[in-house]
Amino acid sequence: MATPSLSDAQLIARCVVEDDRHAFAELVRRHQSAVRACLRKLTSGNAALADDLAQETFIQAWRNLKSFRQEARFSTWLYRIATNAWLMHARKRREELLGDRDADLVDEETETMPQSGEPAGDHAGASMRRLDLERAMAVLSDQERAAIVQCYHNDLSHEEAAFVLGCPVGTVKTHVLRAKQKLKTALAAWGPESIGDHS
Amino acid sequence: MSERTAAPDRSTSPDWLDRLLAEDASAYARDYIDDAGFTAKVVAQLPAPPVLPAWRKPAVTALWAAAGLGLAFALPSAAVDVAREAFKLFAAKPFSLSEVLAVIALAGAGSWTTAIIAWKRGV
Repeated sequence: MATPSLSDAQLIARCVVEDDRHAFAELVRRHQSAVRACLRKLTSGNAALADDLAQETFIQAWRNLKSFRQEARFSTWLYRIATNAWLMHARKRREELLGDRDADLVDEETETMPQSGEPAGDHAGASMRRLDLERAMAVLSDQERAAIVQCYHNDLSHEEAAFVLGCPVGTVKTHVLRAKQKLKTALAAWGPESIGDHS
Repeated sequence: MSERTAAPDRSTSPDWLDRLLAEDASAYARDYIDDAGFTAKVVAQLPAPPVLPAWRKPAVTALWAAAGLGLAFALPSAAVDVAREAFKLFAAKPFSLSEVLAVIALAGAGSWTTAIIAWKRGV
């Protein structure tokens, strides 16, 4: 039986050598929150879709555990699988939506984007700023959004983000720069003054 | 985009977006998502472990045993034949010491190259 005291590497070895599903369950328990949160960020807060993609991510991880060579942290490797799953899903969705794209996109945005439910109290300002940022992120391309989520939210280095996105480090930096320019433009209506109030 | 606040002068604080992203990331890092049966769902969806037929192991053992017995009977006479033919061959065409050394060097180089390539590929 797997115990929480074992390291990720030891659990992975158990999965690969002994086909130990308890060890894999422990790995899922450890990383499920991070992977699901990452996918929620990528899917603009669509929790159901994020959880479906997270399940797909862990099943793919199980199938490919033998090819995991510890060249990156296990969590980074999971982010890579999750990001690929999301990019493939987004591409498929776009192809499906080509016909009556505009109407469907409007519907989807209203379904998936957090609404402006105004939380009362001290956190109201911060919540509103996060909400605005989430909305502004809709202007980013898939790659730009993924680069921002990996570098800022998952706190990965550019090298790790390049591994996750499967592209050169220079490309990641370009995505981040472009994304920030787009976000600055989109958020121009409220900038340092409103943020400075709470920093 | 929200229209709650007036447009600010962004030139006074060029890193306001970094602060906003950091604030969002810090809130994101604090949000732990409860498992709530997620792990159980994933484990239930894992592909079933491969089940080998019961006869496979004894059959493989029997095949190896038969091959071993065959070799044990065939090898002694075959080894004598090979030695005899090799002796005849060498006796008919004598090799110089330099030729023998060259062959040994080539064989050594070949095996070392193979070993290095295998090591680099992590085989």
